[in-house]
Amino acid sequence: MRFRPRNVRSRLTLWYVLVLAGLLALYAGVASLFLFLSLREEFDHNLLQDVETVEGMLEKEPNGQVSLHANHPEIGEPRIGHFIEVWSPQGSLLYRSAVLQGQTLGGPPGPEEGLHDPTPATTQLPNGTRVRLASSVYHVEDQRVVLRVAYSEERLWREFGEFGEVLLLGFPIAVLLAGFGGYALARKALSPIDSMATQATKISAERLGDRLSIENSQDELGKLGTVFNDMLGRLQAAFDQLRRFTADASHELRTPLTAIRSVGEVALQDQRSPADYRDVIGSMLEEVDRLTRLSESLLALSRADAGHVQLQREYISLLRLAKEGSSVVEVLAEEKRQQIEIEGDADLHVFVDRLILRQAIVNLLDNAIKYSPAGSRILVEVQSGGDKQVFLEVVDQGPGIPNEHQPYVFDRFYRVDKARTREWGGTGLGLSITRWAVEAHGGEITLKSEEGHGSTFRVSLPVAKYSFTSQSKGGSQ
Amino acid sequence: MQEAKSHWRVLVVEDEAKVARALREGLEREKYEVVVAPTGEEGFFLVNAEEFDLVILDLMLPGRDGLQVLSTLRKRGLQTPVLILTARDAIEDRVEGLDKGADDYLVKPFAFPELLARVRARLRRGRTEQALLLKLADLEMDVATRKARRRGQHLELTAREFELLEYLLRHKEQVVSREMLARYVWKESARATPLDNVMDVHINRLRRKVDEPFDRKLIHTVRGVGFVLREEG
Repeated sequence: MRFRPRNVRSRLTLWYVLVLAGLLALYAGVASLFLFLSLREEFDHNLLQDVETVEGMLEKEPNGQVSLHANHPEIGEPRIGHFIEVWSPQGSLLYRSAVLQGQTLGGPPGPEEGLHDPTPATTQLPNGTRVRLASSVYHVEDQRVVLRVAYSEERLWREFGEFGEVLLLGFPIAVLLAGFGGYALARKALSPIDSMATQATKISAERLGDRLSIENSQDELGKLGTVFNDMLGRLQAAFDQLRRFTADASHELRTPLTAIRSVGEVALQDQRSPADYRDVIGSMLEEVDRLTRLSESLLALSRADAGHVQLQREYISLLRLAKEGSSVVEVLAEEKRQQIEIEGDADLHVFVDRLILRQAIVNLLDNAIKYSPAGSRILVEVQSGGDKQVFLEVVDQGPGIPNEHQPYVFDRFYRVDKARTREWGGTGLGLSITRWAVEAHGGEITLKSEEGHGSTFRVSLPVAKYSFTSQSKGGSQ
Repeated sequence: MQEAKSHWRVLVVEDEAKVARALREGLEREKYEVVVAPTGEEGFFLVNAEEFDLVILDLMLPGRDGLQVLSTLRKRGLQTPVLILTARDAIEDRVEGLDKGADDYLVKPFAFPELLARVRARLRRGRTEQALLLKLADLEMDVATRKARRRGQHLELTAREFELLEYLLRHKEQVVSREMLARYVWKESARATPLDNVMDVHINRLRRKVDEPFDRKLIHTVRGVGFVLREEG
């Protein structure tokens, strides 16, 4: 099982410490290496200098041995860690420092030893002491000898070790400090989240108007807060819409119920002629019809909401569909001496459920006819909107829709003018159904309107590639 | 030339007393003999024991579900036509009903004229009459040539007006509801489409052409229900 700290703060700190420790270790390693190399270089440099000095001190003894000139006390025999060996090329030992105590610095020399530039190398004495050794070939009077000078590496390692100790001691302290610092930093950075969470828990369905306070909307947390606030805004809008819907729906249901009830009650108060009763019942039935239509529209919408409606799609020219829709309601326009003009490219096709989309178009036209003055002109225009979309616009010359109502006209039961609803008939669901119909086909409906200057409803739908095979299939049904 | 009605027996399986009573009265007025069963069990028993020409079956019944009654009925090989009444509008319900052997369905709340029309259609089945010459009093329609005349005078009708008059004439002396007109004349299945005003305009125009020039009116509005084409009497 992996270790996983409970909160983000600790996780952040842990990561921070781990990364920092890794980096520190790497840094310490590289620094030590450089230090060691430079120490050794200095060490070697001294060694090579000593080789030269010792060369000058060599003297030949009459018995064939070699000895050191005693006038150089500074590198005299007793110096610890300073070893000298002199060999004849034939392999006989000519001189050996006493401090070596009989140990050899590597036995008789090979034929090549000391011929090249004397590069010091590390070797080990039989007693385990590590030494730095340089060799050179030298002539003492006429005799060729191989000179070996070695330093014990003890000093080198000691100096290096001291440095290492400092590093090792500092490392945990640095990491510990970084840990505390990181924790404090993470805590500070995350504290807005805590306060946001506290605020968010206080926001409920009843208090959706509250928003999170944002200190800096530009930083990451500020952006998160903004996103959250936007979401709250949408939620609030949805709740408001639902509230309005409930209120409006109960109004729409109560109105016909009230009518039925009062018409019935009043009719029963006194004796009437059969014709009168017939009239009363007929009037009640009209309200029933209204309620029936209302419940069916609501049902249609709720089925649509639940995604239970299957679209019977076919390829159809949008212009043709507009004409079909217009043919249903054109008599209404004729009655008001209104002119419905349909323009556009008949080759623009859509792949849609004909009945459902026609209903949407009929609804839009019905609205336009209802709200436009007698004798006005209603324009239906089908246009291409690039490769992907096709537009259908219904433009009327009505009174327009005030700005404050525009966002809601597609809401269920929303009425711009609540008082005039009954004389117009209709359920107050027409535009909601229209919007659903358009959106179910992957389209979009927008309203552009200015008070006093008419309204334009624009439906945009994905364009269908004109296809002969599917066209003939669709047409043969 | 209405079919001989007196001997048609109709079983109504419906638990809602008011609806059952209305159905009984409405059907009896049309000279059907009506038996009402208030539960599925009873309906099931009756349909086994007696002979009916048509069963009107509510789907939501206490005791035995309407669909169960229907499928048992069909399993026993009884071919009585069944007209389903359902408050459940879901398409799956309809499909299931038709699968189990129902002949037709109506969604509640239905318009009574429509129920009558469906009942007539079921009972007339087998001899579907698609007469090409229709007649009521001095009104004549030739569906083949799409000509309409009244008292020998040619009536200038638009296509929609012709279809509307034809539908009314095919159902002469029967009240035709707005739903029926929407469905069969405007081919609009969704009642959400705002067709009422459209219908009113068309009926008015039809009146102007068919009735106004003549002293006897044939097109009548039955307030709250629909329209009927008949000689006033």
